[in-house]
Amino acid sequence: MPPTPDDRRGYAGAASRGDPDRPEDRAPTGEAPASPAAPAMREVAYALAVRTALREEMLRDQRVIVMGEDIGLYGGVYGATRGLQREFGEQRVRDTPISEAAIAGMCIGAAISGMRPVAEIMYCDFLSIALDAIANNAAKLRYMSGGQLSIPMVIRTAAGGHGYAAQHSQSLEAWVTHIPGLKVVTPGTCADARGLLKSAIRDPNPVVVIEHKALYQTTGPMPAAETLEPIGVAKVTREGADVTLVSWSAMAGICLEAAQELAAQGIEAEVIDLRSLLPADFDTVLGSVRKTGRLVVAHEAVSYGGFGAEVVAQLAERAWGSLKAAPTRVGARFAPVPFAEPMEEYVLPGKKEVIEAAQRCVGTG
Amino acid sequence: MAERLPTEQLLGLYEDMLRVRFFEEKIDQELFPAGLIRGLTHLYIGQEATGVGVIRALEPQDYVLSTHRGHGHCLTRGSDPARIYAEILGRRDGLCRGKGGSMHLCDMSTNFVGANPVVGADIPIAAGLALACKYLESGAIAAVFFGDGAMNTGAFHESANLAALWKLPVFLICENNRYAISVSVERASAVTDLANRACAYGIWHETVDGMNVSAVYDAARRAVEVCRSHQQPVLLVANTYRFVGHYTKDTLRYRPPEEARDMFREHDPIHRAERDLADNCGLPMEALIGIRERVKREIDDAAAAALKSPPPPAEWALEDVYAADA
Repeated sequence: MPPTPDDRRGYAGAASRGDPDRPEDRAPTGEAPASPAAPAMREVAYALAVRTALREEMLRDQRVIVMGEDIGLYGGVYGATRGLQREFGEQRVRDTPISEAAIAGMCIGAAISGMRPVAEIMYCDFLSIALDAIANNAAKLRYMSGGQLSIPMVIRTAAGGHGYAAQHSQSLEAWVTHIPGLKVVTPGTCADARGLLKSAIRDPNPVVVIEHKALYQTTGPMPAAETLEPIGVAKVTREGADVTLVSWSAMAGICLEAAQELAAQGIEAEVIDLRSLLPADFDTVLGSVRKTGRLVVAHEAVSYGGFGAEVVAQLAERAWGSLKAAPTRVGARFAPVPFAEPMEEYVLPGKKEVIEAAQRCVGTG
Repeated sequence: MAERLPTEQLLGLYEDMLRVRFFEEKIDQELFPAGLIRGLTHLYIGQEATGVGVIRALEPQDYVLSTHRGHGHCLTRGSDPARIYAEILGRRDGLCRGKGGSMHLCDMSTNFVGANPVVGADIPIAAGLALACKYLESGAIAAVFFGDGAMNTGAFHESANLAALWKLPVFLICENNRYAISVSVERASAVTDLANRACAYGIWHETVDGMNVSAVYDAARRAVEVCRSHQQPVLLVANTYRFVGHYTKDTLRYRPPEEARDMFREHDPIHRAERDLADNCGLPMEALIGIRERVKREIDDAAAAALKSPPPPAEWALEDVYAADA
């Protein structure tokens, strides 16, 4: 479900369709912003934001290497690694065979010996093939060794429905947020695609970065200067007093659009982009709901057992008394993602579902 | 055929094997029956020649990765036996602060990256370590032990292909003890000569009698030489046998009882080394008995020390989940 434009809020999907494959040599590195209060921004494609982060970190640290399927010569199926092999060579930007289990497992070994590997798993649906390495090993080796090992590795992968049917469309963040030892971030803007990935690469723990495939070729503002976004800090992207909309990834942009329509109906929504799910900044959510008394949590993943349930549970346990209405979840219907467009649209949630949920919550729906 | 090892060297290997045997027998005969060990414990009794022969052929900077049957590897690599026992007993002074137990031993002071009980999972990790060794030009290699069962995992094949493709210095050691828990190699593998698997990836390989420590040491030294100096993967298949069950509660219904008895009588690697030392090296039996007694005392003392270690505080459970930012 591709988001529609909202460039003012910093979300990918801006009207400017610009060439997402604009040369990576335009990626900024280390320029100081004009003023700290209002950093200079430039309009880039989400894929270029990812590429900028990789390039900056590779320039900064020789230990950073990138591996995955079709990421070198071809530049990645979304162009997120385009030009990196040419710049950094085949030793640091490695095209792999189709061997997800070995890709993830090798990252662990490389990380143990002090390198900073970044793997691309083309679709998050294929995490299933790499999950033993990620969930049983990367997440647990530090713990099981009593703190002797560190696994500073990053798995980049792509979620989201985009016309690819059931095995290339899932949003599987709940698989990895359930595992102690992992960190999980879900950037929904160009600034976060770069800033969170940079933090992930520098983090001493395994981090799963779930990008969104509908965003790669959309554009949005990114700070001109090198900027890191902290893992575990949510962002209030719109203030409002009537209802809190919590989301992440592409759905965070959709919530902002929904908030604009709700405002026209007299409902002022506060919008929070959680950005990071493990650890998650529940304090910001709770602070907002204490003000609004109402919560809608929206994600593209299946509602049942999704991470939205955790957000609602945290709220119920810690801010029950603040609630003026039952918290509401918006998520995919309980089916695999179908291929045909009307069915995909029916299964995956969008702006309409967020608006309806907010209306129900405030009692106008 | 390999030249005979100098007496001094064979004695060292013999002592290492004894240490592993006594370490494991203490678990089998005392600690486990006394109810002091929780969960699963997989013993290395019978396979000592493989672990000892391979590990003694490595350098200190090399990485070693192991399996659920990893006590012997960890011990031979040089960990303090008292701290291994403490880990297996779930005590405070355990190598991993009581968080890993028998199946997850780790000791980075000896570059023993760890035992890994998800069969085959250690192989890609070793390949990644080898990638780092090569990239960082450390001169080290990564040696990874796995069983015949792991040869059938996708992780083995994906890693073997990548290691060969990228010329990674990873030393693959298949300890073929004939059974993956209860399923024999004949019932699990279409090709029972497991070294053949290396041919598919163009990997240097050798098969060795894993019950003969001199032969294993010799083959391992050749393998290490190829691996390190040519920067490429190597596979050593050591045909071995576990005299005991897969784990401490195994009923062993899947193999004839006389099989283990005959293997022990005819192929025990420790008896074999003793015979070699007595007959070919001319060592008096009293000298061997002296070594046995000394190593036995060492193990007894280690177990006694471990048993004095208190259980870890429950709150430790929430530590070491994440590394703090540097």
